[in-house]
Amino acid sequence: MRLFEATHVFKYDWATVSLANWRKYPSEKTPHVRHVEVLNQEVDPVTGVLRTERLIMVCQNVPALVRKVFGGDTSYVLEYSEVDPNQQTLVMQSQNLTFSNLLTVGEHITYRPHPENAAHTTFTQSAQLKASGALFRLANRIEDMCWNRFNDNAHVGRLGLELALSRILAERQAMVQAPQ
Amino acid sequence: MESIDSKCTPLKHEFDACFTRWYSEKFLQGDKTNECEEAFKKYQTCLRAALKEKGLTKMIGEARPTVGSAFADDDGDDGGSKGSK
Repeated sequence: MRLFEATHVFKYDWATVSLANWRKYPSEKTPHVRHVEVLNQEVDPVTGVLRTERLIMVCQNVPALVRKVFGGDTSYVLEYSEVDPNQQTLVMQSQNLTFSNLLTVGEHITYRPHPENAAHTTFTQSAQLKASGALFRLANRIEDMCWNRFNDNAHVGRLGLELALSRILAERQAMVQAPQ
Repeated sequence: MESIDSKCTPLKHEFDACFTRWYSEKFLQGDKTNECEEAFKKYQTCLRAALKEKGLTKMIGEARPTVGSAFADDDGDDGGSKGSK
Protein backbone atom coordinates (compact mmCIF):
# COMPACT_ATOMS: atom_id res chain seq x y z
CA MET A 1 0.00 0.00 0.00
CA ARG A 2 1.24 3.48 -0.81
CA LEU A 3 0.00 6.78 0.51
CA PHE A 4 -0.02 10.06 -1.36
CA GLU A 5 -0.44 13.30 0.54
CA ALA A 6 -0.31 16.91 -0.61
CA THR A 7 -1.46 20.33 0.51
CA HIS A 8 -1.58 23.55 -1.42
CA VAL A 9 -2.75 27.10 -0.76
CA PHE A 10 -4.69 28.81 -3.55
CA LYS A 11 -4.47 32.58 -3.33
CA TYR A 12 -8.21 33.07 -3.83
CA ASP A 13 -11.17 32.92 -1.47
CA TRP A 14 -13.03 29.66 -0.91
CA ALA A 15 -16.13 30.61 -2.92
CA THR A 16 -14.05 31.32 -6.02
CA VAL A 17 -11.91 28.21 -5.63
CA SER A 18 -14.95 26.00 -5.11
CA LEU A 19 -16.48 27.41 -8.31
CA ALA A 20 -13.22 26.77 -10.15
CA ASN A 21 -13.36 23.18 -8.95
CA TRP A 22 -16.61 22.71 -10.91
CA ARG A 23 -15.14 24.43 -13.94
CA LYS A 24 -11.83 22.59 -13.95
CA TYR A 25 -12.66 20.32 -16.91
CA PRO A 26 -12.19 20.31 -19.83
CA SER A 27 -8.69 21.69 -19.65
CA GLU A 28 -5.60 21.58 -21.82
CA LYS A 29 -3.71 20.86 -18.58
CA THR A 30 -5.56 17.58 -18.04
CA PRO A 31 -6.23 16.00 -21.44
CA HIS A 32 -6.39 12.55 -19.81
CA VAL A 33 -9.74 13.50 -18.26
CA ARG A 34 -12.05 12.79 -21.18
CA HIS A 35 -15.54 12.87 -19.73
CA VAL A 36 -17.10 14.15 -16.52
CA GLU A 37 -20.74 13.23 -16.02
CA VAL A 38 -23.03 14.26 -13.16
CA LEU A 39 -24.86 11.13 -12.05
CA ASN A 40 -26.81 12.55 -9.13
CA GLN A 41 -27.16 15.90 -7.44
CA GLU A 42 -29.29 17.35 -4.65
CA VAL A 43 -29.38 20.15 -2.13
CA ASP A 44 -30.26 19.08 1.40
CA PRO A 45 -33.36 21.14 2.24
CA VAL A 46 -32.40 21.35 5.93
CA THR A 47 -28.61 21.83 5.94
CA GLY A 48 -28.24 23.42 2.50
CA VAL A 49 -25.41 21.01 1.65
CA LEU A 50 -24.97 20.28 -2.05
CA ARG A 51 -24.34 16.59 -2.72
CA THR A 52 -23.01 15.53 -6.10
CA GLU A 53 -22.02 12.25 -7.61
CA ARG A 54 -19.90 12.26 -10.77
CA LEU A 55 -18.48 9.68 -13.11
CA ILE A 56 -15.10 10.56 -14.58
CA MET A 57 -13.62 8.79 -17.56
CA VAL A 58 -9.84 8.91 -17.72
CA CYS A 59 -7.73 7.79 -20.65
CA GLN A 60 -3.99 8.10 -20.61
CA ASN A 61 -0.85 6.59 -21.99
CA VAL A 62 0.44 3.93 -19.68
CA PRO A 63 3.54 1.74 -19.93
CA ALA A 64 3.07 -1.39 -22.03
CA LEU A 65 3.34 -3.61 -18.96
CA VAL A 66 0.50 -1.80 -17.25
CA ARG A 67 -1.65 -1.92 -20.36
CA LYS A 68 -1.03 -5.64 -20.65
CA VAL A 69 -1.86 -6.36 -17.03
CA PHE A 70 -4.90 -4.09 -16.91
CA GLY A 71 -6.13 -4.83 -20.40
CA GLY A 72 -6.50 -1.20 -21.45
CA ASP A 73 -5.85 2.42 -20.62
CA THR A 74 -9.38 3.71 -20.14
CA SER A 75 -10.77 3.79 -16.65
CA TYR A 76 -13.77 5.11 -14.79
CA VAL A 77 -13.74 6.86 -11.43
CA LEU A 78 -16.70 7.50 -9.14
CA GLU A 79 -16.56 10.74 -7.18
CA TYR A 80 -18.87 11.90 -4.40
CA SER A 81 -18.74 15.40 -3.00
CA GLU A 82 -20.42 17.59 -0.42
CA VAL A 83 -20.32 21.37 -0.44
CA ASP A 84 -21.37 23.11 2.75
CA PRO A 85 -21.78 26.82 1.93
CA ASN A 86 -22.23 27.76 5.58
CA GLN A 87 -19.14 25.99 6.91
CA GLN A 88 -17.32 26.76 3.64
CA THR A 89 -16.10 23.26 3.02
CA LEU A 90 -15.89 21.21 -0.13
CA VAL A 91 -15.09 17.56 0.47
CA MET A 92 -14.64 15.03 -2.32
CA GLN A 93 -14.02 11.34 -2.21
CA SER A 94 -13.30 9.13 -5.19
CA GLN A 95 -12.51 5.57 -6.11
CA ASN A 96 -11.67 3.82 -9.35
CA LEU A 97 -14.37 1.53 -10.77
CA THR A 98 -12.30 -0.11 -13.47
CA PHE A 99 -9.48 -2.52 -12.54
CA SER A 100 -10.49 -2.32 -8.89
CA ASN A 101 -9.95 -6.07 -8.54
CA LEU A 102 -6.26 -5.39 -9.30
CA LEU A 103 -5.62 -1.95 -7.89
CA THR A 104 -7.66 0.46 -5.82
CA VAL A 105 -7.01 4.17 -5.68
CA GLY A 106 -9.10 5.96 -3.08
CA GLU A 107 -8.71 9.72 -3.00
CA HIS A 108 -9.88 12.30 -0.49
CA ILE A 109 -9.84 16.04 -1.17
CA THR A 110 -10.90 19.06 0.89
CA TYR A 111 -11.05 22.78 0.18
CA ARG A 112 -11.41 25.08 3.20
CA PRO A 113 -10.67 28.73 3.91
CA HIS A 114 -7.09 29.16 5.08
CA PRO A 115 -7.18 29.27 8.91
CA GLU A 116 -5.08 32.46 9.06
CA ASN A 117 -6.17 34.16 5.88
CA ALA A 118 -9.78 33.89 4.76
CA ALA A 119 -8.84 35.34 1.37
CA HIS A 120 -6.92 32.14 0.64
CA THR A 121 -8.00 28.52 0.37
CA THR A 122 -6.28 25.43 1.70
CA PHE A 123 -6.44 22.37 -0.49
CA THR A 124 -5.58 18.97 0.98
CA GLN A 125 -5.35 15.77 -0.97
CA SER A 126 -4.65 12.25 0.16
CA ALA A 127 -4.83 8.96 -1.66
CA GLN A 128 -4.35 5.33 -0.85
CA LEU A 129 -3.01 3.10 -3.62
CA LYS A 130 -3.31 -0.61 -3.11
CA ALA A 131 -2.45 -3.43 -5.51
CA SER A 132 -4.11 -6.73 -4.84
CA GLY A 133 -5.23 -10.04 -6.28
CA ALA A 134 -3.26 -11.18 -9.31
CA LEU A 135 -0.86 -8.26 -8.89
CA PHE A 136 0.16 -9.24 -5.40
CA ARG A 137 3.68 -10.31 -6.39
CA LEU A 138 4.15 -7.17 -8.47
CA ALA A 139 2.46 -5.00 -5.87
CA ASN A 140 5.45 -2.82 -5.00
CA ARG A 141 6.35 -2.09 -8.60
CA ILE A 142 2.78 -1.40 -9.66
CA GLU A 143 2.14 0.78 -6.62
CA ASP A 144 5.32 2.78 -7.22
CA MET A 145 4.44 3.29 -10.86
CA CYS A 146 0.90 4.34 -10.01
CA TRP A 147 2.11 6.61 -7.24
CA ASN A 148 4.37 8.42 -9.72
CA ARG A 149 1.51 8.75 -12.18
CA PHE A 150 -0.78 9.97 -9.42
CA ASN A 151 1.81 12.54 -8.39
CA ASP A 152 2.07 13.81 -12.00
CA ASN A 153 -1.72 13.98 -12.31
CA ALA A 154 -2.03 15.79 -8.98
CA HIS A 155 0.42 18.40 -10.26
CA VAL A 156 -1.37 19.01 -13.57
CA GLY A 157 -4.69 18.91 -11.68
CA ARG A 158 -3.54 21.90 -9.59
CA LEU A 159 -2.44 23.69 -12.75
CA GLY A 160 -5.90 22.95 -14.21
CA LEU A 161 -7.54 24.53 -11.19
CA GLU A 162 -5.29 27.60 -11.45
CA LEU A 163 -6.30 27.90 -15.09
CA ALA A 164 -10.01 27.69 -14.19
CA LEU A 165 -9.41 30.39 -11.56
CA SER A 166 -7.76 32.71 -14.05
CA ARG A 167 -10.68 32.21 -16.47
CA ILE A 168 -13.19 33.12 -13.75
CA LEU A 169 -11.18 36.22 -12.86
CA ALA A 170 -10.93 37.30 -16.49
CA GLU A 171 -14.70 36.96 -16.83
CA ARG A 172 -15.30 39.02 -13.71
CA GLN A 173 -12.95 41.69 -14.99
CA ALA A 174 -14.76 41.76 -18.33
CA MET A 175 -18.10 42.13 -16.55
CA VAL A 176 -16.86 45.06 -14.49
CA GLN A 177 -15.44 46.78 -17.55
CA ALA A 178 -18.43 46.14 -19.82
CA PRO A 179 -20.80 49.12 -20.20
CA GLN A 180 -24.10 48.50 -18.41
CA MET B 1 -16.76 18.73 -22.67
CA GLU B 2 -18.53 15.98 -24.59
CA SER B 3 -20.76 13.45 -22.88
CA ILE B 4 -19.85 9.75 -22.88
CA ASP B 5 -22.70 9.38 -25.36
CA SER B 6 -22.71 12.15 -27.97
CA LYS B 7 -26.52 12.07 -27.97
CA CYS B 8 -26.45 13.49 -24.43
CA THR B 9 -23.90 16.24 -25.13
CA PRO B 10 -26.36 19.10 -25.86
CA LEU B 11 -28.33 18.22 -22.70
CA LYS B 12 -25.13 18.02 -20.68
CA HIS B 13 -23.98 21.42 -21.93
CA GLU B 14 -27.32 22.95 -21.05
CA PHE B 15 -27.13 21.52 -17.54
CA ASP B 16 -23.44 22.43 -17.03
CA ALA B 17 -24.12 26.05 -18.02
CA CYS B 18 -27.14 26.22 -15.72
CA PHE B 19 -25.23 24.65 -12.84
CA THR B 20 -22.18 26.93 -12.87
CA ARG B 21 -24.41 30.01 -13.08
CA TRP B 22 -26.68 28.77 -10.29
CA TYR B 23 -23.72 27.70 -8.12
CA SER B 24 -22.04 31.09 -8.15
CA GLU B 25 -25.07 33.37 -8.29
CA LYS B 26 -27.50 31.52 -6.02
CA PHE B 27 -26.11 28.57 -4.09
CA LEU B 28 -23.04 30.32 -2.69
CA GLN B 29 -25.27 33.25 -1.72
CA GLY B 30 -27.42 30.96 0.43
CA ASP B 31 -30.30 30.30 -1.98
CA LYS B 32 -31.21 26.62 -1.80
CA THR B 33 -33.72 26.45 -4.66
CA ASN B 34 -32.36 24.22 -7.35
CA GLU B 35 -33.02 26.02 -10.60
CA CYS B 36 -31.37 23.40 -12.76
CA GLU B 37 -33.55 20.48 -11.81
CA GLU B 38 -35.40 20.38 -15.11
CA ALA B 39 -32.22 20.56 -17.19
CA PHE B 40 -30.70 17.91 -14.97
CA LYS B 41 -33.61 15.49 -15.35
CA LYS B 42 -33.40 15.62 -19.13
CA TYR B 43 -29.64 15.11 -19.09
CA GLN B 44 -29.91 12.36 -16.52
CA THR B 45 -32.51 10.38 -18.47
CA CYS B 46 -30.23 10.40 -21.48
CA LEU B 47 -27.11 9.61 -19.45
CA ARG B 48 -28.67 6.74 -17.50
CA ALA B 49 -29.64 4.99 -20.71
CA ALA B 50 -26.08 5.44 -21.99
CA LEU B 51 -24.54 4.05 -18.79
CA LYS B 52 -26.88 1.07 -18.91
CA GLU B 53 -25.90 0.40 -22.49
CA LYS B 54 -22.22 0.48 -21.54
CA GLY B 55 -22.85 -1.84 -18.60
CA LEU B 56 -21.62 0.68 -16.01
CA THR B 57 -24.68 0.93 -13.78
CA LYS B 58 -23.82 -2.08 -11.61
CA MET B 59 -20.18 -1.02 -11.13
CA ILE B 60 -21.30 2.43 -10.05
CA GLY B 61 -23.79 0.99 -7.56
CA GLU B 62 -21.15 -1.26 -6.04
CA ALA B 63 -18.61 1.54 -5.59
CA ARG B 64 -21.03 3.96 -3.90
CA PRO B 65 -20.30 2.88 -0.30
CA THR B 66 -16.53 3.28 -0.83
CA VAL B 67 -16.93 6.98 -1.63
CA GLY B 68 -19.59 7.59 1.03
CA SER B 69 -22.40 8.21 -1.42
CA ALA B 70 -25.96 7.52 -0.32
CA PHE B 71 -27.40 7.99 -3.81
CA ALA B 72 -29.14 5.10 -5.53
CA ASP B 73 -30.51 4.54 -9.00
CA ASP B 74 -34.27 4.24 -9.27
CA ASP B 75 -34.05 1.49 -11.82
CA GLY B 76 -31.26 -0.52 -10.24
CA ASP B 77 -29.81 -3.06 -12.64
CA ASP B 78 -28.01 -3.13 -15.93
CA GLY B 79 -30.80 -5.10 -17.53
CA GLY B 80 -28.40 -7.65 -18.93
CA SER B 81 -29.42 -10.73 -17.03
CA LYS B 82 -33.17 -10.42 -16.98
CA GLY B 83 -35.71 -11.23 -19.65
CA SER B 84 -35.31 -13.09 -22.89
CA LYS B 85 -33.15 -12.04 -25.78
